[in-house]
Amino acid sequence: MVRLSPDVTAALATLEARWGAAAPRRAGDREVGDVVGALATVPLPAEPDALPAPVEGVVSTGFAALDAILGPGGVPRDTSLALRGDGSSGKTTLALRLTAQAQAAGSIVAWLDVARAFDPVEAVARGVRLPWLVVVTPHDLDEGLSIAGTLLGGRSVDLLVVDLPARLGPAARPARIADRLHRLTALARRAGTLLVLLEPPGGPAAIGTAVVESAGLRLELARRAWIRLGHDVVGQRTEVLVARNRFGLPGRRAGLRILYADGDEREACLARDDLLVETSIQNAPIPVPGKVRDATAPPAMASSPPRPRARPSRDAGEERPALRVVPDGPHGPRRPALDRRDRARRQPGGPGARRPLGDAAGERPPARA
Amino acid sequence: MPLGSAHRLAPEAVFLDPWPEADTEAVEGAFATLAGFSPGLAGTADPTDPAFGLLEVQVDGLERLWGAEPRLVARLTAALAGVLPTAPSAGIAGTRFAATQAAGHATPGALIVVPPGGEAAWLAPLPARLLTPDPDVRARLARFGLRRIGAVAELPQTALVARFGEEGARIHARANGVEIVPFRPRQAPERLALALPIEPPVADVEPLRFVLHRLAAALGEQLVARGSAAAIARLRLELDLTFARAGTPTEMRLEQRFPEPTAEGEAIERLLLARLERTPPPAPVSRLELELAAVGPAAGQQLSLFVPQAARNARLGWQLARLALTFGEDRIRRVALADPEAPIPERRWTWQAVEAGDGT
Amino acid sequence: MTRLLREHPLIEPELDATGRLVAIRWNGRREPVEVCNRWRVEEDWWRAPIARDYFKVVGQRWLALVYLDRTAGTWHLERLYD
Repeated sequence: MVRLSPDVTAALATLEARWGAAAPRRAGDREVGDVVGALATVPLPAEPDALPAPVEGVVSTGFAALDAILGPGGVPRDTSLALRGDGSSGKTTLALRLTAQAQAAGSIVAWLDVARAFDPVEAVARGVRLPWLVVVTPHDLDEGLSIAGTLLGGRSVDLLVVDLPARLGPAARPARIADRLHRLTALARRAGTLLVLLEPPGGPAAIGTAVVESAGLRLELARRAWIRLGHDVVGQRTEVLVARNRFGLPGRRAGLRILYADGDEREACLARDDLLVETSIQNAPIPVPGKVRDATAPPAMASSPPRPRARPSRDAGEERPALRVVPDGPHGPRRPALDRRDRARRQPGGPGARRPLGDAAGERPPARA
Repeated sequence: MPLGSAHRLAPEAVFLDPWPEADTEAVEGAFATLAGFSPGLAGTADPTDPAFGLLEVQVDGLERLWGAEPRLVARLTAALAGVLPTAPSAGIAGTRFAATQAAGHATPGALIVVPPGGEAAWLAPLPARLLTPDPDVRARLARFGLRRIGAVAELPQTALVARFGEEGARIHARANGVEIVPFRPRQAPERLALALPIEPPVADVEPLRFVLHRLAAALGEQLVARGSAAAIARLRLELDLTFARAGTPTEMRLEQRFPEPTAEGEAIERLLLARLERTPPPAPVSRLELELAAVGPAAGQQLSLFVPQAARNARLGWQLARLALTFGEDRIRRVALADPEAPIPERRWTWQAVEAGDGT
Repeated sequence: MTRLLREHPLIEPELDATGRLVAIRWNGRREPVEVCNRWRVEEDWWRAPIARDYFKVVGQRWLALVYLDRTAGTWHLERLYD
């Protein structure tokens, strides 16, 4: 691999930071954005609530409705934030949006991928800038905490995300790890580094307790509804409860709307709310410890924040197509980067192409060999 | 083209990974060899430079030393035989442009000599696109029907300047065998080295730290005094084999690239110490030599005005380099997208080591 | 955001009488699922063929992406949507 000198690399970073498209921006200012893999150019959904101007010392979560219920309008930089929720609650999306917001404000971020679940393509789709991201893949959580402590002690990262694993190794000692987590949060506070802990469902009790006790801000996420496009599930509605907040009132709730993009031809439909249907999930609301259940109606949903991609241009007056597979048409390709690649690979029937397996509801999956 | 496409075109081909360090070392060796023949050398050892692979030697007035030009070139070629992987193609002419074209048209190991004063005539039948690297100018030359250098040479300079601006003046001069770019000999990269004996020899890394501290501090001061910074450190440890196991080597060598060129002795010391802790010497050390290489002018850091991360990224790079040495390169990594639209996730990105000198 | 489980852990599918995927067993737990999308990926990359049938499945606890490796005949969990 060709090595660029640090000066050249830094100069490229300057140009990229000034003219690149990865940072979240208002929809009207966008040009054709980056195409980053399976998440192709996606038309932006409507933005009824744009993010307010950044506040000094505070990192936006990327969701305006959530920022609004946190005391200082976001997450203070010198705190520890714990995100708890079940398997598909949206906590990882929230952590990535927070990362993107921090980077847009000039932060360098380290992601401690103990869970070995980090997907760079998805991260970029959520606005994360890979040049300003360090991914730490430790052998185990103990080693990961050692590395994290060194990073914090060196004060060289502004945000450290710790993606805790669901299980500890057989040699792990939960009490020792819990103690180290406490120390880590104290170290982060002294270093002025925002520490984000992603707590997996069903993890060791000692770890959960340590996270609860040491985090100055704790959010609990619960999925309330799936968002469907036809039969497919393309997103979710998540309710966030501020379970603990040293900087404001706990007990407040906000709704997040999260859309997924799997990189197929239907992504243009995600911008059309009339095509999306929410199917509620019959879960109990997140209980607030020691508080009476909030009987008011859930707050108005906040749309998912804009992704760093542009709308495909449409001529005024064009009749919007019915729901169908949308090929590249006369209005130009929706995936500009695709033009530079070997298109034969993407043609129907070509190698590497996605082949629909028929109506998901009607056709049987092949029997296991 | 993408590697997959190349493989499909030539399934029997063997694909080698680039090795820029080896390329640089070979070219530096070539320059060192050529320096024994002429003080006037130009070219680059940077594999990323478009001019990489072109070595220019001023041979004016060297006939009395090395014989006529063809004989001189034969001696140069023979001297380079053990340094470069292949025989060089050589060209001699009165202008740098003509000499470069002559070398480009020669086969490996062969020499083309352009007669003195005959540059324009020799260049005349060659394609006009060779006169400029600018693709727009090339396209316009073709549109004007100027397909040979001779046709360009026949035009008045004013006409070319009117059409192509400053580049028009340059291509006119090149086509007519007029030298326009003065020869600027390259300066050989500086080498800074210091060594200290250690008596009695020490086996632990901790005592080595004090010696390393002195060496790094002294060399760092030299760099600061010159306004320079180094990008590479080379440690040579002479080992005392009195009580060592059979087969222990007599010395140990380490090379460590820095996240960025530096003159800070303390940063150099910390990084090298981390390297020694990861790879301790197999026997007591009786002498420690530190060399700082890839020395160049120290660059200022003004980027913080535009990109806050850029200025702090350098410090982060040092810390990551130490962490990588301590915990392993596979623990601390950056990531870059490779083929984001690959149908399976394994093909979509690549991990990148944060080892010192990865350019980030 | 999807969490990409880099090791693609093995799972045990449960098919009904008609061969439809109805549940997944992973980490000792059984999760009834509904298939909401599916597609096939085939690639002859460097002559190490990739042939996978992907299924996006929604369950009570999560939305996930699983696949049948048709070359090996094994089922794997690739992603969790979170």
